[in-house]
Amino acid sequence: MTTTLIVTGAGGVGKTTVAAAIAIRAARSGMRTLVVTVDPARRLAATLGVSDLGNDPQPHVDEPNLWAAMLDASASWRAVAMRHADPAVATRLADNEFFQAASEHFPASQAYAAADQAVTFVQARAWDLVVVDTPPSGGGIDFFTAPAQMADLVGGRLLRWMTGGPLPGRRLLFNIAGRPVLRVADSILGSDLLERVAEFLLDLRTTYDGVSQRGREIERVLRSAAILVITTSDPAPVWEAIKFYRALPKLASTPAAVVFNRILPEAWATASVPGDAPPALASNLARWSAETVRQRDTRDEFSARYGAQVATIPWSMIPPNSLDSLAGMLDDAHEMPWGSFGIE
Amino acid sequence: MLEKRLLIVSGKGGVGKSAVSAGLALLAQRRGKRVLAMEMGSPGGLSAHFGTSSLEFEPREVRPGLHAMRMVRSDALLEYLGIQLNIRGSTAFGPFARAFDALATTAPGIREIITIGKALWEVKEDRWDVVIADAPPTGQIGSYLRAPVTIAELVPGGKVRAQADLMRDILADPEVTEMLLVTLPEELPTTETEETLEWLAAEKVIAAPRIIANRVLDELTDPSSPPGPLGEAAELHRSLWGEQQEWLRRLPPQHQLPYLFGLFTPGEVAARMCDEFEAIT
Repeated sequence: MTTTLIVTGAGGVGKTTVAAAIAIRAARSGMRTLVVTVDPARRLAATLGVSDLGNDPQPHVDEPNLWAAMLDASASWRAVAMRHADPAVATRLADNEFFQAASEHFPASQAYAAADQAVTFVQARAWDLVVVDTPPSGGGIDFFTAPAQMADLVGGRLLRWMTGGPLPGRRLLFNIAGRPVLRVADSILGSDLLERVAEFLLDLRTTYDGVSQRGREIERVLRSAAILVITTSDPAPVWEAIKFYRALPKLASTPAAVVFNRILPEAWATASVPGDAPPALASNLARWSAETVRQRDTRDEFSARYGAQVATIPWSMIPPNSLDSLAGMLDDAHEMPWGSFGIE
Repeated sequence: MLEKRLLIVSGKGGVGKSAVSAGLALLAQRRGKRVLAMEMGSPGGLSAHFGTSSLEFEPREVRPGLHAMRMVRSDALLEYLGIQLNIRGSTAFGPFARAFDALATTAPGIREIITIGKALWEVKEDRWDVVIADAPPTGQIGSYLRAPVTIAELVPGGKVRAQADLMRDILADPEVTEMLLVTLPEELPTTETEETLEWLAAEKVIAAPRIIANRVLDELTDPSSPPGPLGEAAELHRSLWGEQQEWLRRLPPQHQLPYLFGLFTPGEVAARMCDEFEAIT
């Protein structure tokens, strides 16, 4: 039985680092653990042993139970659609000018590709724990909404909108192009743009069965996964964390905890300054003390208002450039819901 | 900065784009300019900094002389069809709008031209002295800035193309438009900013941006570290300061904004940003 842990949150809060630290800890507790990461900072990638880009999980050279895989952030639904299209359609899609553009454009496609890959690892049943660091597109929430959005797009909703009626077959394209609406469009667009888009969407629609079936599998895995929302105490990421915390129960499950990263020592909040302290140091402590109080207020408000389990990870001055320092950043973590992802 | 007609503020998510945009808007307003602030990123980013309820597509006066609005794609589309393409009434609401919306989701450049086009159109109007766009993050900004060029590549002629050409010229004019890239002296924001700079240099759709480093710590001149919190806080500060200096050397910014200790409400942050900009511009 493979447990899945999804680590989500705004960009820049240390999400990838926390995911790596949890994975190392799990590996050291004897669980066969895979950490799946997207676009890690260079030092962290090197520490995890995924410095060369590749989607296949690599066993870590120094850590017996640890594997790491880096998702290709540029992978899109190109790969997904290709897998589900028949060869003739696949070729036509590959030649279509909208394909590349549309996949760059539709943020859910990257998130879908990432979720698809991550779920493949979970289904391989080769690990006790798969820790998934979510891609930053759409603030991470895309990871959870992508399967439905993808099926919706491929399912032809756009096509129905365009034609204002039931789905046409390829033979009827000529009729679509003959519609007055499209003639107006062509006159302002100066070309047959809408017709070309319709043709593309018709091809894409043939992948619907494959994509929607896979989408349901992905959703099943996401729903049974444990989720951690990571944030710092800064207003912007906290605001994102609130959005996630409120949206996730409906999309997947209630997060096991909201983890506040980079927490200052509680003692600073009440520290008294000796009378003979150098003035520069005294005023420095005063401002960091104010920062400590602000952090605590932020956490208290989060748990009071949303009833979330709030965990904390102290601010560490050691850069995460070794497995030991990464694992060590969790030594003084509080209220981490270890049990919800099977770590003793 | 504020003598330009359009400021496009971008940066990696979470670096303080909205706070910088709001601060600049407040300063422009303080200096008696007629200002439009546009929320183009995630909803609520800008309104929180003005301490107002959610913004709408229709600009609302949030301070005397300072209007704020939120980009709503469906509204922008209707306006685009009406004003730019002269398609009004039932045509704009009927199957054509549906088709156009579908096109906007699929074809490259259309969605972006509608959004950025709104900002450029407001610049052309004489209603505002300066338009400040709290723009999408750097991960997405490229497709917006490049939208007029993308359209030109895809659409050989017609009204949409003519509009796109006009917009391209406004964006590229350094007398009219300036881009601000907000960053933090940390690894990920620095590398993302560098990538954005490379992209901008290659595409040449807009003049070289001004770089603003946010949350910069000042140097702690006292080198001592007495035991207890006094010394611990000093060491933390020195260590963070040292790391920040490395990133600032690697990507030297035109302006630095200080780390705001203990401040909490977005409104307070915006007011402080405004004071900081007052001192440097």
